[in-house]
Amino acid sequence: MVILVEIDLYYYIFWILNYFFLLYGLCLIALYFFAIILSTRSVNRNKRKARFLQVNDIVSATDIPSITLIAPAFNESKTIVENVKSLLALQYPYYELIIVNDGSTDNTLQLLIDKYDLESFDSTFITQPIPTSTVNKIYRSRKLQFKQLTVIDKNNGGKSDANNAGINFAATELVLCTDADCIIEQDALLKMVRPYLEEFNQEIVACGAAIGIINDSIVKNGVVEKLRLPDSLIPMIQVVEYIRAFLLGRMAWSEINGVMLVSGAFGLYARNRVIEVNGFNIHTVGEDLELGIRLRKHMEEIKVPHKMVYLPETLCWTEAPNNIDVLIKQRDRWARGLWETMTLHKDLFFNRKYRDMGLFYYPYWMVFELGAPIVEFLGLLSLIVFTMLGLINWNVAILLFTSIYLLGCIFSTISIFIYVKNFKHYNTGKEVIELLLAAYLEPFLYHPILVLGQIQGYYKKIFGVKSGWGNMDRKGFKTLPKERL
Amino acid sequence: MKAEILILLIKILLLVLVIVFGSIAYSMIYRRWRTKRLQLIESTFAKICSLYLYPAPNEESNLIEIQRELKAVGIVPSKPRNVQYLIDLMIRTQRSILGNNYTKLKKLFTQIPPYGASASKLTSSKWYIKARGIREIYEMDQSQYTRDLIKLRNDDNIYVRREAQIGIVIFLGWKSLRFLPYLKRQMTLWQQIKIVEKLNDLYPIPDLNHLRRAYNSDRPYANELIMRIIRKFHLTEDIAYIIQFIDNPKFEIREAAIYCISSFSLSAEQLREIKEKFYHISNTEQQLMLLKYIQRISMDIDLPFYKDLLYNGSDIIKLSTADILWNNGYKEEVQEYYYHQYTQKADSESISV
Repeated sequence: MVILVEIDLYYYIFWILNYFFLLYGLCLIALYFFAIILSTRSVNRNKRKARFLQVNDIVSATDIPSITLIAPAFNESKTIVENVKSLLALQYPYYELIIVNDGSTDNTLQLLIDKYDLESFDSTFITQPIPTSTVNKIYRSRKLQFKQLTVIDKNNGGKSDANNAGINFAATELVLCTDADCIIEQDALLKMVRPYLEEFNQEIVACGAAIGIINDSIVKNGVVEKLRLPDSLIPMIQVVEYIRAFLLGRMAWSEINGVMLVSGAFGLYARNRVIEVNGFNIHTVGEDLELGIRLRKHMEEIKVPHKMVYLPETLCWTEAPNNIDVLIKQRDRWARGLWETMTLHKDLFFNRKYRDMGLFYYPYWMVFELGAPIVEFLGLLSLIVFTMLGLINWNVAILLFTSIYLLGCIFSTISIFIYVKNFKHYNTGKEVIELLLAAYLEPFLYHPILVLGQIQGYYKKIFGVKSGWGNMDRKGFKTLPKERL
Repeated sequence: MKAEILILLIKILLLVLVIVFGSIAYSMIYRRWRTKRLQLIESTFAKICSLYLYPAPNEESNLIEIQRELKAVGIVPSKPRNVQYLIDLMIRTQRSILGNNYTKLKKLFTQIPPYGASASKLTSSKWYIKARGIREIYEMDQSQYTRDLIKLRNDDNIYVRREAQIGIVIFLGWKSLRFLPYLKRQMTLWQQIKIVEKLNDLYPIPDLNHLRRAYNSDRPYANELIMRIIRKFHLTEDIAYIIQFIDNPKFEIREAAIYCISSFSLSAEQLREIKEKFYHISNTEQQLMLLKYIQRISMDIDLPFYKDLLYNGSDIIKLSTADILWNNGYKEEVQEYYYHQYTQKADSESISV
């Protein structure tokens, strides 16, 4: 009798979980389809708009907003000189570059001093609207060709703290926060400033653009000379992942003014608004999402119509983790950042005061971004348990897995299609086939690693395991041999 | 769930996947073919222009032959994308050529297809076609359509009305200020920039009558636009217009006013007025910008003003004021202030004990 009751209970749990996973999966699939429609509209709209505001028009204009590019650097000696060269070569008429040396323990600062002929300035009276770690010295170049370069040397306080120091020192309307290891497209600022020039009834508080992966590409004088697909599989799959995330995800959100995250590697912000909310939060590793949410909350509270926008073009290139260990560390950090941010702003959850953000966007992030790894992990556990209990019908299960796998393949293929149709970065048959293969291998070889990294991050948060940013070893970019430079 | 349903679903998904594959392949093949086609149109057009501008001795350009050549590369009404590409080429060429050749080319373009293509776009229901038509009209200098552009200046679509407003400025110059400060809808920063630039490029001598009449507009975008014009044309006699907005309650207007005033030097009276307005600005960052400007244009250090800020301003203003005084030889005043702060703090601590 007891055994029968137990079997009934297992069956009951089995069916409840089955329906939960089915419902969750169906919602996710519906959202993806919706995202495809929205992002296609958004990409087309952006292309049409761009015809009426071309970069050539902007570059010759006089009253456009000035921009400061802020790039924190911590032990970046391998790539810093090359990257600063790239950042100095950007096209924009009113543009300053601030490199914040965040207490590097290697020779990052010395390399900058030597290469760019820097001299220090008195920093006794610098104003700090956002409190940061102590700023030791401020350097500027003696050479005229580097006059827009400023280097701030400060005690280590983390990336957010370094960004805040840069924002404090900037004297421009807009600030672009990036990483010193990013390669930015030459006309990126001209394109990024477009939304600020064109909007009239909503204030643009932040603008982001797609980020691409540059592993194994050739960089010459800080500019991408030849874009190549990465040689190894891990970064190759990340190319597909980034295309899908930026083109389907963020462009779709942008279309309905639902963007809450502008990537920390490349985000343009209105400086006055960032100062009003006291800059980046130094206590979280998900500082970009946290700032995005705080900015939107602030704008809702002061009742100013606002927008956070995304551009579909890839304007920034970065090196992706090249091996599993680094990848797990990165995703672990992202997961912790997400957890921290969601916890910090839990008051938003179905809070009508914050309108769409409280009712839709934040709950989406809670359920489908924060929740997805948990649901996947639970799914895996239940699969193991119910297999042991003999409750799984393997014929149906295999067919169901195949359907889900094919759906995933369709979403990735559509992203690649939108990318190939609209952009010319990967346009040979070989490259497209490689991208498609990477996309089809992703669920088997890559996705489990991601879930592992994310669950590890959540575990650390739940059980209070201390962890910081972690190191990401960089290979540095391939540069052309000296005789060709 | 029945296995048959899932098998059907898998078949459907496979079919979708194959369709998307096909779309990728088609898109790549089409792009290659299209690039070749556009190159062909471009080279044909380049040949036509060069032969027209620099014909061989004793050889007249044959318009019928030109039309045949264009038709042969696909410039026919049934292929609007090819026609559009040709129009873009015409605009690009016209932009890069000046003098006698410019006039010759303008004449050529009226004689070869497409005919009236830009004007016909003004009736399109799609905003991007309409806006494109307007742009082509002003880029190709077709001033006969000015009235049509004036009608579109308040269009619902931002791009249509923006292009129409730019066209009006190009064709009417300073007279356009009869309309622009009284539009029904807000103007973007880019519209303002373009209007000021076009005035500066095409009508460099300011018509103050039209400008000053526009001062009556109370629309925020018009205030910003006029301030930008005053700045661009360096109208020192009209600085008072900018100064009145320095402490405006609206952030954007203040921002534009501070930005525009920064290009001018001021008289002692104007500087005094600015200093008075300084206290009414609610945003510290804007106060900071104005403070730096005041310091930059002042001949001497106005000690009472700076000391007042040092003792009564916000922390950031105090620090910036200290910086200015310190670097201008008033170190004692700064030291005295910090000493005063220190003793005040010590006193308050002793009281609390």
